[in-house]
This record gives sequence, C-alpha cells and structure tokens, in this order.
Amino acid sequence: MRPAGRRLAAAAVLGLALGGCASLGGEPGATGPGKSPDAPVARDPLAARHRQQAEALERDGQLRRAAEEWRIVLTITPGDARARESLQALRARVDGLVAERIDEGRKALARGVQVEARRKFLAALALDPSSRAAFEALQTDTREVEFISHTVRAGDTLAGLAQRYYGDRSRSEVIWETNQLPPNPRLAPGTTLKIPEIPGVPFVHPEARRPPPAVAAIPTPDVPRPGPAPAPGPAPVVPAPKEEYTSEVNPLLAEAREALERSDYPDALGTVDKYLTSKPGDREGLTLKKQALYGQAKSQIEARQYPESIQSLTLLTRLQPDYEDASALLKQARTRLVEQHYTQGVRFYREEKLKEAIAEWRVVLEMDPGHANARRNIDQAERLLRGLEQRMKK
Amino acid sequence: MVGGLALLLGACATAAPEPTPTPGAARPPARPGPRPAAYESEDFVVTFAQPGDTPETLAARYLGGPERAWMIEDYTGQQAFSPGQEVVIPRRPWNAAGVTPGGYQIVPILTYHNLGEHAKGRLVLAAASFREQMTYLKTNGYRVVSLGDFVEFARLGRQLPQRAVVLTFDDGYRSFKDLAYPVLKELGFTATLFIYTDWVGAGRGALSWNDLRELSAAGFDIQAHTKTHADLRRAHGETEAQYARRMHAELELPQELFNKNLGRRSQILAYPYGRWEEGLLPKVKEYGYVAAFSVRRQGNASFVRPLAAHRSQIYSEMTLDDFVKNLNVFQEENLR
Repeated sequence: MRPAGRRLAAAAVLGLALGGCASLGGEPGATGPGKSPDAPVARDPLAARHRQQAEALERDGQLRRAAEEWRIVLTITPGDARARESLQALRARVDGLVAERIDEGRKALARGVQVEARRKFLAALALDPSSRAAFEALQTDTREVEFISHTVRAGDTLAGLAQRYYGDRSRSEVIWETNQLPPNPRLAPGTTLKIPEIPGVPFVHPEARRPPPAVAAIPTPDVPRPGPAPAPGPAPVVPAPKEEYTSEVNPLLAEAREALERSDYPDALGTVDKYLTSKPGDREGLTLKKQALYGQAKSQIEARQYPESIQSLTLLTRLQPDYEDASALLKQARTRLVEQHYTQGVRFYREEKLKEAIAEWRVVLEMDPGHANARRNIDQAERLLRGLEQRMKK
Repeated sequence: MVGGLALLLGACATAAPEPTPTPGAARPPARPGPRPAAYESEDFVVTFAQPGDTPETLAARYLGGPERAWMIEDYTGQQAFSPGQEVVIPRRPWNAAGVTPGGYQIVPILTYHNLGEHAKGRLVLAAASFREQMTYLKTNGYRVVSLGDFVEFARLGRQLPQRAVVLTFDDGYRSFKDLAYPVLKELGFTATLFIYTDWVGAGRGALSWNDLRELSAAGFDIQAHTKTHADLRRAHGETEAQYARRMHAELELPQELFNKNLGRRSQILAYPYGRWEEGLLPKVKEYGYVAAFSVRRQGNASFVRPLAAHRSQIYSEMTLDDFVKNLNVFQEENLR
C-alpha cells in the first residue's frame, strides 16, 4: 500500500515540477544571467534521493561512500547548508578513524605482528584510499605473505603442488620463486617448501572436484553501491535502502546452499565462488562462503588434514577475523600440525632416516621456534649423522 | 513516456542558474549541439542520459575525452544507460589505492616473449593465440593501461580502471613489430618492451634501435632488461668489487645506450629470468630505476614494493582458460 501512495505523491511533485518548468516559457537552453530565481522543485527530489542514500550509507558504516553521496547532494544543491555540515562532520569522523587504524597498525608492527598491521593499514585505506601515511606504511614497513609449509613427499612436483594449493599448475613459478629454487629443481622427499598465499587467486581446495571458474574475478564497485537512480519519472523517488538485498534466489546460490547442507564443502565453495565472481561482495554469497569455509575447516581437522584446515581457516579469518571460534580453531590446527610433524620426525628417526627426521623437526621449529624437544632432537640426529659420515669416510 | 518526462525535467534543470562555476564550461564542447542539462561541481556531474548516450559519449562530454569512459563505468557499475536515466559522473579520482571495504584491486602485468606463425617451445607464442588473448581482453572489458600508469598507481599517484591490465614484451624480438604490433594497433592497446641492449640489432630476429625509435614514436614504451640478460643476483664467490663492476655494466650501460638512441634514460627494469634478491634493490635504485619486475605469477596491489613487483609469463602451451587465470583483478578481503 505504502509504496503506491509514495509513488502518487512523487508523481504529484514531478507534475508540479513540470508545470513550473513549462511556465518558464519556450526558450529551452537560453540560460542568460539573472534569469529565473531558481527551480528548487526539480532539484529537490533528486537531491533528496541522494541525501537519503548518504544517510543510509552512513548508518551502515560505509563512510567513504556516504561522503561521496553528500558531495553529490552538494553538486545538485550547492546551497544546502545541512548537507555541508553533514559532510564536514563525516570527514572529521573518517579522518579520526583513519588515524586510529594507522596508530593501531604501527603498534602491531612494533609488536611484530605483521598480519594484523597489514589489516589495520588496509582498513585505513578502505576508509580513505588516498591516505599516504597508510599507503606508505603498507608499502615500506609491512611484509605480508602468510604461507603454509609443505613437506615434500615422493612424487611431488611443483606443478602438482601448484594444482593442489592454487588450482593452477602454472603457479608453480610462485612456489619456485618463494623458495629460491634452481631451474628445473628435483624435489627431495622430506624437504620443506613454503607455499605462499597469492592475492586474487580463487580459492581451490586440494580435493575440489570441479575446476575453478574460468572467469576472472570482477572487482566490486564497493559493497552494494545503490544502482544509478531510475529515470526521474513517476517512480518511487526514494528507494528503500534494503531493497537491493532482496532479490529472487540465484540458482548458483541455491546450489551452493544445497551442497553445504549435504556437507559437500568443496562443491559449495566452488559454486559460491562462481556466484561471487558475478556478484562480488554480495553479502549472502559471502555469508555462505564463510559457513562453507568453517564447515570445511572443521571436517578437515577431524580428518587430520591440518595444512588444509589452516588454509580454510586463514581464508575465513581474512573474510571475518572474529567468525565463531575460527581463531581458536586455527590455533588448535597449528598445534596439531606441529605435533604431527614432530611425531613424523620421531618415526623417521626410529627408521634411521635421519635427514628426513631433521627436515620434519625443522618444520616444527619454523612453526614453533620455542619447541625445545625438536631442537634437542635435531642436535642429536645431526651428531649421529656426522658420526655416520665420518665412519663412511674411513 | 519516461524518456519524455526526463527530457522535460532536464530542460528545466538547464533553466535554473548554476550558483557554482562549472569547470567544464571553459573547455570547448566535445560535440556540437546544446549541452544537456547537468548539475556540476568540482567533484561530480549529475546528469541524465540522452538517447544514444554511452559511457564514451558522456566521458567525451564531461570528462574531456572518451578514453575516460572507465571512470563512469567503474563509478556507476554500469556499461549502458537508458535515456533519461540519472548518471553520476565523478570528475576526480575517487579511489587512488584501489582499496574498498570489500578488498583491493590487483593489476595483472602479462609478459610475452617471441611470437611466430606457429608456437615453438614455451616462449614462441602462435600469432593466432596472441590475437585470441587480446580479443578476450577487449571483449571482456579489460582496460590495457601503460606500465608507466601502473608505476604511478604504485606511488598512489594515479587511479587505474578496475579491470586494468598491462602488457609487456621481453628481450626485443622482431616478431613484436611484425605480429604483435598490428593486433595491438587494431585494438588500441599499448605495451612496454623490455630490451636487453646486447640483443638490439643483433640479427634478423632482433629489433634495431631504428625499430625501437619508430615504436616509441607510435606510443609504445621501451624499457631496460639489462645489457646481457644475465642473472643479477650476486654470484657465488663474486667479490664486492667484481659484483659492483658487473652491476655497473648491466644497469648503467643500457642507460647510456637509451640516452644515445632514444634521448632518455630507462626508468623501469625487468629482472632477467625474473631473479632478484634484497641486496640488489639498492643498486637498481642507484642507477635510476624506479620500478623493477620479477616473473612471479601474481597480480600487483597498489602497495606492492615497486622494485619487487610481479609479472605473469604467458606461455605458448597455455589454453585460453589458462590465460584467463592470470587476469584476476580483485582480492576479496573484509576490510571493514
């Protein structure tokens, strides 16, 4: 009922506008100085629409977009003192938040927590993409790159690992470069490789059945940008800000949800990624993606696939750092992975595979530099190895 | 009906005097005929699409040239407008770093080597595949920008289109002129050539300085890929003095040749084999390079370290699907 009423009211206003315009007489385009005093009726509905968008965005915490909308309001009605005040207040608020994020980032750097520092500086840039302080801190002071350690097993190839972790064999070059390997390297079982995250590479789970979507990610023009306003005709002048989120169910989204219900996480993730490619930043899609990552991580921990679960959880905490108990799970998975490498080392040691054992314990130390047992065992194994080598020489 | 109303309303807006000066008014009109109604400020133009308007015509009218259509497309998220539809046009860059609350922009920089009628080995790409890849970029809304524009982006000095991609060609093969250039010219794409100076004019397969001058005049960018194409990392057993001499030859001699033959120095370097190490970066900077590129297969955020930026090599055996995997332009990450 209400929308219809609003539509009628809007039509009436527009009717007035047209009437007012027509009465100006038949000189379209002749805009000599000192002509008609103003045509507020034409401007006002347009400005009002942007004002409402500005307010809605501000309520939603999309401060930069809100500031842009206020500037649009002022483009249409430059004399709008209230809009000018709102913009000024908003700018002060944004500046304050940016300074706060940069400060938090610097403190994180001082504590040596690169990942957190990176997030804070990025958050500052998301609020103000021209903040030179945030940009320079990110560019010169922050080393990002999270990586997983992979212990080489017999039969591993760089291309195979790239397929497994990135769903793209040609990304082997990234593993090659990160680990500073020689050309055409032979991978010795037991050695460890760093597998870095690659920005922009769609997530592919090692066990995923379907190939990643063949379409490159499309950037989001900021999470939901209210579409350009409809033609100024007898249409509702002010679209409710919530309207953009309610659309009919997308078949991909439905498929993803179904996959999630039967706990087929790789399928759910593959499908939701495909959906997000066409609708980047879509909330429903992202919510589903987070649920799928969380479920997948849990099942991976149960199956003792700790590197895989760490990968899922890292992706999840990137999307939302405080999702459920994700950060606790991440810690747990890391601890278990350390244990796994440690016992694998002990197993190798018992089988007198000293080099392999040392490699496993080195992974342990890399993940947990304070692991005293691993350190002691490495010393012990290295002593034995030296003794053996000397005996071999004799 | 709706269109008619919009037109009337538009005319009405024209009739209203503009209290603010309109910066666009000083420019000669981009096309003849009366200018449609618009509200203008330093930041934005708010106008209504006329029949036949595209992002290009609107950019020509309000932003000084159709090549700025990307600003309208990226800001509105639309590639087409119906007559009478309101269009908000940003007059100034609004996202220099390419960072939004939903993630950040990454720019793929593609690396080609040699082209041939047929593929040969990894690094000679079939001309038909090259055409197919370039056509893919064109039809899928990618915007090829120059490497120089990217370098400015990496200094927070220039906003790039959301789907910006850079093309580079290594070594300086003659096939660039014969096979790549016609395709690029046809599609209106620019590219950077990274040449190693020992190879210039070194035979039938190599471009000459004359070719490079012509290409430079035709709008292509020429940059350095060292003198001999040797790995720039310090070799095992190389003394400090030996290494310094070698770096002088690899990094400075090309500069002198650039100066002599192109009238300018090179500012951007491609590491031979993509290889670099921390200790190399100060030397690269010392010889006047402001950006340098590896071949680590990933795109670049604006805040990438300019002397350790990435490129993705395109090999002859890649299918179109493989090629497309190198074109991701956005990293999703919740930054709210």
